[in-house]
Amino acid sequence: MSEEKEFLSRKTYQPGVVFQPDAQRNIGRGIDKLVAAIRPTLGPTPRTVAVTRLDDARKTPDVLDSGGTIARKVIEMGARDEDIGAMLARALICRQHETMGDGSATAAVLLQAIYRGGIHYLAAGGNAMRLRHHLERALARALAGLDEMTAPVAGKGKLAQVAEAICHDRPLAELLGEIFDIIGSYGQLDIRKDHSRALRREYIEGMFWDSGLVSREMIADQKELQTVYEEPAIVIADFQINDPRHIMPMLELAVDHKIEKLLLIAGEVSGDAIAGLTMANGKLKNFQVMAVRSPGMNPDDRQAAIADLAVLTGGQPLLSVAGDSLKDITPANIGRARRAWASTHNFGIIGGKGDPRQLRRHVSNLQTQYQRSDDKPHRDGLQARIGKLMGGSATLWIGGLSETEIDRRKELAESTADAMRAAVKDGVLPGGGMALAHCRQRLAPRRANGADPDERAAYRILHDALMEPARAIYENAGYEAGEVFARLAHAADQRSFDVVSGEIVDGQQLLDSAATQKSALRNAVLTAGMALTIDVLVHHKAPEIARSPG
Amino acid sequence: MRQKGLTLEFETAEDTVFALAAADGSCFAACSAGLFRSTDAGASWQRLRPSSEVVTTAVAVSPTFASDRSVFAAVKGGILRSSDGGDTWYTSGFPAPPPLFSCLAVSPDFERDGVLLAGTLEDGVFSSADRGLRWQPWNFGLFDLSVLCLALSPEWRRDETVYAGTETGLYRSDNGGRAWRFTGFPTEFAPVLSLALAVDSTSGKTLLFAGGEAHGLQASCDQGASWQGLTLDSAVNQLHVQPAADGGFALYALVNEGVVRSADGGKSWAVAQPTEAVPTAMLLLDDALLLGVHGRGIMRLPFG
Repeated sequence: MSEEKEFLSRKTYQPGVVFQPDAQRNIGRGIDKLVAAIRPTLGPTPRTVAVTRLDDARKTPDVLDSGGTIARKVIEMGARDEDIGAMLARALICRQHETMGDGSATAAVLLQAIYRGGIHYLAAGGNAMRLRHHLERALARALAGLDEMTAPVAGKGKLAQVAEAICHDRPLAELLGEIFDIIGSYGQLDIRKDHSRALRREYIEGMFWDSGLVSREMIADQKELQTVYEEPAIVIADFQINDPRHIMPMLELAVDHKIEKLLLIAGEVSGDAIAGLTMANGKLKNFQVMAVRSPGMNPDDRQAAIADLAVLTGGQPLLSVAGDSLKDITPANIGRARRAWASTHNFGIIGGKGDPRQLRRHVSNLQTQYQRSDDKPHRDGLQARIGKLMGGSATLWIGGLSETEIDRRKELAESTADAMRAAVKDGVLPGGGMALAHCRQRLAPRRANGADPDERAAYRILHDALMEPARAIYENAGYEAGEVFARLAHAADQRSFDVVSGEIVDGQQLLDSAATQKSALRNAVLTAGMALTIDVLVHHKAPEIARSPG
Repeated sequence: MRQKGLTLEFETAEDTVFALAAADGSCFAACSAGLFRSTDAGASWQRLRPSSEVVTTAVAVSPTFASDRSVFAAVKGGILRSSDGGDTWYTSGFPAPPPLFSCLAVSPDFERDGVLLAGTLEDGVFSSADRGLRWQPWNFGLFDLSVLCLALSPEWRRDETVYAGTETGLYRSDNGGRAWRFTGFPTEFAPVLSLALAVDSTSGKTLLFAGGEAHGLQASCDQGASWQGLTLDSAVNQLHVQPAADGGFALYALVNEGVVRSADGGKSWAVAQPTEAVPTAMLLLDDALLLGVHGRGIMRLPFG
């Protein structure tokens, strides 16, 4: 480490305690610095931000237009007090990006405006705890205003409009609009890289799992490297099959019930048992069997997949916890489907013949669990299960001129898809920042007639902050925000300004995901409220890693 | 002795009529004994060659049949299409195992969009957007693949709404049959055997009628979200909406005892045509009613 760096590091990382007014002022500086880096990305005409590479600053910098991605790459601001503010903002932006896929710049701009308004009021003698309390009350009113404006969205045209407002990539938005019109909010969408230059989509009938044949010898179609069965019987077991003798009762049952095609889904099948199955394929007349590993990376996933397969096919699974084995197999353990296919990596079922009523109830239960869960990995798991059971899936192939472009567009497609799911589930709002601006009406009465100064201040701060996202969108597009607000003030209600065309348009022509906007507002107010109550900063010694030569 | 009005007589008592369709003076009958055509409004019938005696389970004609002469028929594992009123036929194949079709529906805007939908008993709904040349299964969200009937919205061009009656309930698609959502249809009234849509001239709302096996007829005026039972307790095998001169409509229902008619949106019913045997299909022409009767054939009865 150079002497200058060493000096700066020591200076910056002095341990100690920081009191007011420095604490708030420096947190505000940190928030301002990070938000200044995110603000240019807000709106349909985002400016870009160049971020040096973490691995090698001499490499070409990353040129980014996604608030979430930029925030993720900011590690520190230099001054430790400012770092605290910047990291609070970073956590908010990253959380918004990860949970909703969009709205991170909106959240950042709101946070900055609320915090700024808050510290001005506190400097004049306001009470931080009471201000926070009233900010949260004001938030509830603003959210209620957004709820009133929320409208459902349907049809590929409208959905494409929403997608375009999120990703600002028309061809991608049109495909995502069509895909979400078909798969709905819970449907399975795989976004994959392609070697072509364009975007394309594919719809796959039935459902498939990432688990394949236990042996290549079971591949019937050597050209397609897969085996397809029509009208197969399906046996589902969660245990390992080691002894070839254990498969005999299953084969006898198959012969007795004139089963011609059998798909065995099992935890694992030993080499000896595989040999037994392949021998049956050769020896038994009019009978074919293939075996696949039960899907899932861990016991919970496997159990869930087995439950889904059982409902889908109508076959009662054989479970090790119940003491089941293949010796106990009965006709009730046989599920059915119109078709089943398997390759070495995947297997799929088309037209499962389980009870449709039970399947609908099962999906409905999973949807309820999804809505009640706050745990993202759990929600993602439930989402994937529901998607599989919906009867089909979509694959979006992302092509491009270079690997970098494909990677960037794939990441954009993934975050847009997350936001689209939320839009399909929870509806849409007038876009261009106008939904937030319109819901200020809900705050106006308390802003003027609040019971005490803290309450009036909280409502005023949020009231003013709600204009900031629209202001940032106009300024990023090169407009004078004051001029645009003046034009909107003379336009009819629920109108928005389209920065692309430069026209005042019907609010329904520009759409944003309601869930994204609500989440951005909620996260920003809660983070700002919490940050405003920070009174003292305590710094420890600089971490060892900061002193190490590099 | 030949029964009065019987214009097509079956050779065996097991034969049945699955569907009837008509346009521009031509009538078509999908029967277990093959596909038949009449060019004299059902007075006489000729078996069409392509299906010979192959079981034909559904038939439908283009809404612009007078100009495009398009007619479609479903046989086991395939859909037949003709663009010359049934003289020559082409087959569209489907992946194995062969689907068993239960119904066919042609887009009211067929001339422009070329959309056809086919319901099957085990494979859900297939859709074609190129006048029946290529077909694709579209079953996103359709948990019950046993589809018994399909009905397209009269406002199809605007809303692309289609309903599918199944063994266990009723599904709606708002995107031309590409994705389905379960409606609020009471599951205890399933299966849904027949569907019809009509526009209520006073409210301007689209009314949806669903005929079941055990509980007669149900109606909804909110796209299937809520339902109301109507005073018809027999199994309703087919429904037909006949526009009236005053802007209203008459609703005809094919029940086990014959054809019944309601002029007040299903509140009250009158017997329009009683039958001795179980009717399986009906078709209203300008001055006659064609009735497919199980084990007997097709009857042509004066009507109007």
